Amino acid sequence: MTVITRGVDMVLRLVITIAFAVLVACVVWQVVSRYVLQSPSTVTDEMARFLFIWVALLGGAYTFGQRRHLAIDLLPVITTGILRLLVNVGIIAAIALFAGVVMVYGGLDLVSRTLETQQVSPALRLPMGLVYIAIPFSGLCILYYCLTFLADLFRTGRGPNEQEGTASVGGPLD
Amino acid sequence: MDIQSVLVLFGTFAFLMILGVPIAFAIGLAAFATFLLFMSFDQSVYIVAQQVASGLDSFTLLAIPFFILAGNIMNRGGIAMRLIEFAKVLAGRLPGALAHCNVIANMMFGSISGSAVASAAAVGGVMSPLQKKEGYDPAFSAAVNIASCPTGLLIPPSATFIVYSLITNGTSIAALFVAGYIPGILMGLSLMVVAGIIAKRRGYPVAERPSGQEVIAKTLDAMLPLGLIVIVMGGIIGGIFTATEASAVAVVYTLFLGVIWYREISPRELPGIILESAVTTSIVLLMIGCSIAMSKAMAFADIPYSISDTLLSLSENPLVLLLIINLALLVVGTFMDMTPALLIFTPIFLPVVEDLGMDPVHFGVVMTFNLCIGICTPPVGSALFVGCSVGGVKIGQVLRPMLGFYAVLVALLLLVTYVPALSLFLPRVLLGY
Amino acid sequence: KTLRLNHNNPEDHPLHKSMQFMAERVEELTDGDLKIRIYANAQLGTQRESMELMQNGSLDMARSNASELEAFEESYGALNLPYIFVSADHYYDVLTNDIGADILASSEDKGFIGLAYYIEGARSFYANKAIHSPADLKGMKIRVQPSPSAIRMVELLGANPTPIAWGELYSALQQGVVDGAENNPIALTSARHGEVSKFYSDDGHTMIPSVVMISTSSWNDLTDEQKEAMRTAARESMDFHREQWDAMSAEAVETAKSELGVEFVEVEKGPFIEAVLPMHEEAAAKSPVVADLIKRIKAAAQ
Ligand code: NA
Ligand code: NA
Repeated sequence: MTVITRGVDMVLRLVITIAFAVLVACVVWQVVSRYVLQSPSTVTDEMARFLFIWVALLGGAYTFGQRRHLAIDLLPVITTGILRLLVNVGIIAAIALFAGVVMVYGGLDLVSRTLETQQVSPALRLPMGLVYIAIPFSGLCILYYCLTFLADLFRTGRGPNEQEGTASVGGPLD
Repeated sequence: MDIQSVLVLFGTFAFLMILGVPIAFAIGLAAFATFLLFMSFDQSVYIVAQQVASGLDSFTLLAIPFFILAGNIMNRGGIAMRLIEFAKVLAGRLPGALAHCNVIANMMFGSISGSAVASAAAVGGVMSPLQKKEGYDPAFSAAVNIASCPTGLLIPPSATFIVYSLITNGTSIAALFVAGYIPGILMGLSLMVVAGIIAKRRGYPVAERPSGQEVIAKTLDAMLPLGLIVIVMGGIIGGIFTATEASAVAVVYTLFLGVIWYREISPRELPGIILESAVTTSIVLLMIGCSIAMSKAMAFADIPYSISDTLLSLSENPLVLLLIINLALLVVGTFMDMTPALLIFTPIFLPVVEDLGMDPVHFGVVMTFNLCIGICTPPVGSALFVGCSVGGVKIGQVLRPMLGFYAVLVALLLLVTYVPALSLFLPRVLLGY
Repeated sequence: KTLRLNHNNPEDHPLHKSMQFMAERVEELTDGDLKIRIYANAQLGTQRESMELMQNGSLDMARSNASELEAFEESYGALNLPYIFVSADHYYDVLTNDIGADILASSEDKGFIGLAYYIEGARSFYANKAIHSPADLKGMKIRVQPSPSAIRMVELLGANPTPIAWGELYSALQQGVVDGAENNPIALTSARHGEVSKFYSDDGHTMIPSVVMISTSSWNDLTDEQKEAMRTAARESMDFHREQWDAMSAEAVETAKSELGVEFVEVEKGPFIEAVLPMHEEAAAKSPVVADLIKRIKAAAQ
């Protein structure tokens, strides 16, 4: 399992880093094309927005795998024994419910419907279904991490919110 | 008032949050549960999935990862040190000069990095040993650092305002940015007054007079980092580019500074910095996507109007209502981080204050100011945690010296709430808002 | 029964008032059996999101415009072509006759059905110089909506199409980020663009209507009487809207002239029409459905 996890981590890391770099280039190009080349690009805006959805959703999955999403980690810390186990199972179950039902099941419905009706994006004429695939894909990754977290919980007692080393404090925008 | 949907939405959210479910997922599930009251299972999952992705479909929102990336690049280099040296020059010969220096450095560094905790860590990390050496009470220096680090969230550029713009359907970011200047600077100045009084009473030393040569050298040294603010804000106010484009330009500028000019970052480190920025960003973004789903669920259930009606039935007096809203937000701020609080409570309170004739830009400033206090208060306060940890003091110790600062911040919050001109004067003059 | 209708205009917008008119008429005609609850300001989502929600039946009704709808149903593309209509009367004629009705009905299998068109006037170029012919547009940066047909049109006319968000356009015009934009005269006053663009060159290249739609599944849930009431109310609201819009448009022109000092430039349309005519053939070549619609629309002009 750790081998697969490392593989999933690596793929996500690679995709996120490259997509983010392209994203920066995209917006910089938008400025350059307007001011330096005097012929503004008509597609960078949409390209950047769609790429961004992918970065955000895959980033969300990867970040979850790193146990870095913000949570109020009170109950899992003050409870002990079987109660603590139940709390942690409850947390994983709730996340799996969201990832499985909303992101994978609901997301696939959205993808298939937009592909079926052949809805395209305004500027790039890209099938919107391709943009939305990010949702079920991210959901699948989160489901997988839920599995590993569950295994971790029963094997080592480590809860899904417990990070390795010292946790970073605070919301990202604080 | 449709009490059922309110109970389902907030009940689900509160239960999951207390259980320890990451806030983004708790918000998403609460939205899902609320939609189930109005539509079939299949329709509910469909709409939440759509909103999570589509809520992120905004060119404006791109500014957040870019500003975070620019901030992360900045944080690598010796920017904090340069700004602190410059702040020392500015703080000059005031009593408790190092405390003033801490506040000023937080204002400058926070403005650039847009992060209160990064600022508290970078500036506090350098300042607290210096202050200790000069005999400052560590709890006092930590309190100064904690109370002043959120100034950078008000002084632009600020990702907080971008989030606010998004959830309010596009309140002008340029106007919000410019509106943050006076309240943010006032916040810093009033903290300096309080710190100065305490320092004077305790007889903390003034700084040595720097030589003219030093003043010039240190000022010049700080100009390149501060140039970022000039480029970004000048570009936005001048209408040369949008906030998003400005943030991308900021990335290029910081890359130039860090990699080429100062040579403090090797190109090999860049993928790591990018990944770290993406992780930091996606924590916010997943939360935003889910919050957008939640705000749609609230709209379906007419919750903002219900709450608005309830509040308006409490009092007709705008002054009283604004006081109630501020108190509610202060309570929220004690236990909730800034971003989720902003995401959840803006759609609820904005309709109320708009009914009272309040400008959305003004309310954005009030809301941000209020939640800035929240990140300095226990039990959950990121600025408080980081400030204590870099200052090497316990939370219990720092609360006593914090009391004075809380008082002045709350007083200033009321001033910012009831004097719209503090927020709206600059946008009107500079942008014709 | 209450249907939810989502749109992205503020509550004081004429489009909102026309939808309100329609809602009131539906309630009257069904003796209160059927109500429409209108959500303004995109409270339930953007135009694109509304479309996707209607396809799934999560949302009953929405308003969008033909330009956005082209991504969902190709037939609407015929209405977006520049100079497809020869006059305001030809335009309204097409929208209210069987051609318009066929387009509204064409998307039934895509999950939504059109109910009414609300006109939004003719769009023309405005900038800080008069544009008498396509030659004047050469090299100018013109703000467009991010739709392929808008981009193509501006390219064919010799200008550089520049997508800028609507909210940023005022300062973009002011700072010269773009040299001009294109819209109906109401934009001069409602978005204050007349303050920063002093010449409105009346070339009237496109007439793009708003469309009120209902989800196919919500439509199928209605009784025959309710459907009839919806159709009647929709049709009546179209006329109500046209009157409202024309009055507002005339008022906007007056205000722009007298208070903002905008000069309205009469334009010889011939060279413009000639330049963009290839678009009609391109659109027809791409889709037989659109080709047929173009032919019928042109025939209706005679
Ligand atoms: Na800032
Ligand atoms: Na707090």
